[in-house]
Amino acid sequence: MNKIIAMVRKELIDAARDKRSVMAGLYYAIGTPLIMCGLFMVLIGQLTSPDDLKISITNPDKAPDLVRFLSNKGITQGEAGAKDLKAIELIISPDYAKQMNQGKGAEITIVADNSEEKLQNSIRRLEKQLQAYSAEMGSLRLIARGIDPRVVQPLKVNVHDQATTDSKGGMILGIAIFTMIYSVFISGMNLAIDTSAGERERNSLALLLSHPLTTRQLVLSKIIAVGLFALLGLVLILLVSKVAYTFVPWQELGFSVSITSEFMALMLLVGIPVALMAACLQLFVSFMAKTFKEAQSYLTMVLFVPLALSMAASYNIAPDVLQWLPVSGQQQALMDFIKGKDMNMLQLLVSTLGTLAIAVILALGMEKSLKSEKVIFGL
Amino acid sequence: MIDSMIHRKSHNAGACVAIKCSNTGWHKRISTSKIISLSTLMLAMASATVWASDKPTPPTPPTNTCYVDGVSDRLNCGFVTVPENPNKPDGKQIQVHYVVLPAVKNANHEEALLAIAGGPGQSAIDNAASFNTMLNKVRQQRDILLIDQRGTGRSNLLNCDAGPQSLLAFNDDNVDSLAEAQKCRDQLTGSDVTQYGSLNAVKDFEAVRAHLGYKKLHLYGISYGTRMAQLYMRLYPEHLATVTLDGIVPMQQSVLEIGSAIERGFDLLFKDCQETAACHAEFPELKAEFDQVVARLTEGPITEQVHDPVTGEKTLLTLTRAKFYGAIRMALYQTNVRALVPHAIHQAAKGNYQPLLGLYALTTDGAGMAMGMHASVVCGEDIHRITPAMREQAKTSYVGKTMLDSLEASCSVWKVPPVDANFSEPIKSAIPTLLLSGEIDPATPPSWGELAMEKLTNAKHLVAPYATHGVAYQSCANNLIAELVRTGSVKDLDGECLKKDVRRSFYLNASSVEPLATEDATQSSKDKPKDKPSTGAKE
Repeated sequence: MNKIIAMVRKELIDAARDKRSVMAGLYYAIGTPLIMCGLFMVLIGQLTSPDDLKISITNPDKAPDLVRFLSNKGITQGEAGAKDLKAIELIISPDYAKQMNQGKGAEITIVADNSEEKLQNSIRRLEKQLQAYSAEMGSLRLIARGIDPRVVQPLKVNVHDQATTDSKGGMILGIAIFTMIYSVFISGMNLAIDTSAGERERNSLALLLSHPLTTRQLVLSKIIAVGLFALLGLVLILLVSKVAYTFVPWQELGFSVSITSEFMALMLLVGIPVALMAACLQLFVSFMAKTFKEAQSYLTMVLFVPLALSMAASYNIAPDVLQWLPVSGQQQALMDFIKGKDMNMLQLLVSTLGTLAIAVILALGMEKSLKSEKVIFGL
Repeated sequence: MIDSMIHRKSHNAGACVAIKCSNTGWHKRISTSKIISLSTLMLAMASATVWASDKPTPPTPPTNTCYVDGVSDRLNCGFVTVPENPNKPDGKQIQVHYVVLPAVKNANHEEALLAIAGGPGQSAIDNAASFNTMLNKVRQQRDILLIDQRGTGRSNLLNCDAGPQSLLAFNDDNVDSLAEAQKCRDQLTGSDVTQYGSLNAVKDFEAVRAHLGYKKLHLYGISYGTRMAQLYMRLYPEHLATVTLDGIVPMQQSVLEIGSAIERGFDLLFKDCQETAACHAEFPELKAEFDQVVARLTEGPITEQVHDPVTGEKTLLTLTRAKFYGAIRMALYQTNVRALVPHAIHQAAKGNYQPLLGLYALTTDGAGMAMGMHASVVCGEDIHRITPAMREQAKTSYVGKTMLDSLEASCSVWKVPPVDANFSEPIKSAIPTLLLSGEIDPATPPSWGELAMEKLTNAKHLVAPYATHGVAYQSCANNLIAELVRTGSVKDLDGECLKKDVRRSFYLNASSVEPLATEDATQSSKDKPKDKPSTGAKE
């Protein structure tokens, strides 16, 4: 046991010496939440319709009442060329008053590009207000004819939305959890390569093995060192996320995203087996590769698998079976937790055990392979 | 298609007033008793509210998730149990129900905004949808708390039900108010009707606040709800952060003085029409036509075969003077319905009562108002304040007189002891307070807001030149409330946006608000924006 501790210390000192490559992994943990929040802030600003929506209105004098109604709803005639003028044109037919007086549909045309994402909310808002105006006039016309307007609303549809303000942010949270799991894989990756393929290239691996150590002790200590780094990355991203996410005005989209202390504790707990598996996987692949460079390219490919699992779960495109698999199972449980649903403990247990099983198999495989000179000398 | 209009109307539903409720609702319930229709027409003039549900909602268990009409979100509901009579803590217990609309992103768990409904007699919870829409910006960061005041909604409702009865055919000119009041009182035997005044209700509100653990409340009171808010300021100022009073009933004022406010609302309508080129061109003799219809109805009700506005079946309409006044009066509460009034008056003068029937149908729903509770409040807090001079004054107006007569009948049955004289003292407070008045409000005119300001040292009174009753529902004032809640100060509130011209054009016929584009009409529609607004904005 003492030997393992000594070895782990040695690995960490080694890692600390090569700050640049190792820190590269941790930069991810710090930078990702910041970049995501920055992007969301910009996005929310663009997607939400401004309080004061400026559009071009043609023939406003044909329907002054409608124009005033819209302006009360914050939709007004903008000045041509002004910066805040949206590319939406509302054309009021020159025959508007005539059609109105005859009780026919008075023509209004909206000219806009519906594929322009930044405009969609504003277009929808304009349509909604025109509908509201139309419905209101319809009701008053009925009243003027002695009919209760309720009779033309035969259905009264009640919606009981089961979402909470937290669960409405589920998509965003899915992505957030995905970045956290990703950080577990990314943070320790450079260290894993450095401590395996790197050590071999520096010819210190053989030296290490010549000490009175069992291969198992060597493998275990490397796994622990890499795993610790992975968890360090996780802790960092959790702390940064907790602070950064509060700055985004999510409420403008109608939901809230908050990283609670309970969630952070759970994420860490769930993250431990994932970190172990990530460490084993990365070390195993690196040892299999012949050179440092090769290890880098193999790892990039191999890492795609757990990340695909995680992403599938976060976008809810996963078939049910994914809920039982490693990584995606944990991700699912975390998402349920943050949405305030009951976690399926059995699924979490199965996927966690699966994760640990993979880690053990890989560790045993590594232990076995390190007994072969082919692997030790990279032949 | 109608949906959105209904919603819109429902916004104002919250806005019922002190004595009158603002909104015309589309929910009609024929089960209103005669007394209701009577005192409704008069005092409570209740118009109606839109969101009243047809079935009484079953009591909800303590804090639980629930849904209310018109709001799709999951809400927290519950109740506190309080003694009906605070002096008899072991006596009858009643449940005071509340609903919390949770904040989208709760910036301060120790604060909430309490929105208080009007009436007296409206249920805040039934009006949740309109509060939710109007307070949308506040809700982004604060919980919205709605409480059914004792005697309303789910909190030991004091209402009267006289069974089915056709309000269209009913002649309300010859009703025995006293007998009707007694009949209603007899239905409420289980409750001590003297315990349903505002003072006990404020204690209930405070109990709910303590129960939910909020340290500070922001208040929004509409109409009669402003009286509740002012009492809260007087009794529990330490728990208030800010207050918004919308459509203000000052403590010094008896709600029964509404008579002159109603007259003023009618006069402003005639003036508005006269000053608007298109309306004046179409209805040059509006005031004369109105007087002509009143004169005709004074001789006796007009009966006519009509189609029922809801069922479409042939039925008898007995058009009385009270119904005529009532229909027009309630129409004045909302700018969009108000736009139809000149046309309705003109047609009535010509003998076509269809538009009037449509407007009247909107008011036949007494459902928004718990008439028993309404009487408990008014009989304890207002009727004793009537002075001989006010009585003289009331006699000059038809609405004022009928209202007073029928209420006096109710109160002689209700026998509520009057509140202490200090009840009517103006509120002295330094709590940041925003007061909102609508210039064309037919219930609580801006001068009432000035009265309420008397001893408020940290207050701002904004008058929206084009708003009726319930300014926050019709203008940018809801954004001002959000700003007040956020900053906790009235200093930087800028009422400039209230001056935006949001008038609705008058209907010129049963279909259109836009004049036909003859040479002349084109000219007049161009002139329109230059029309002098009926009233200037003042602060």
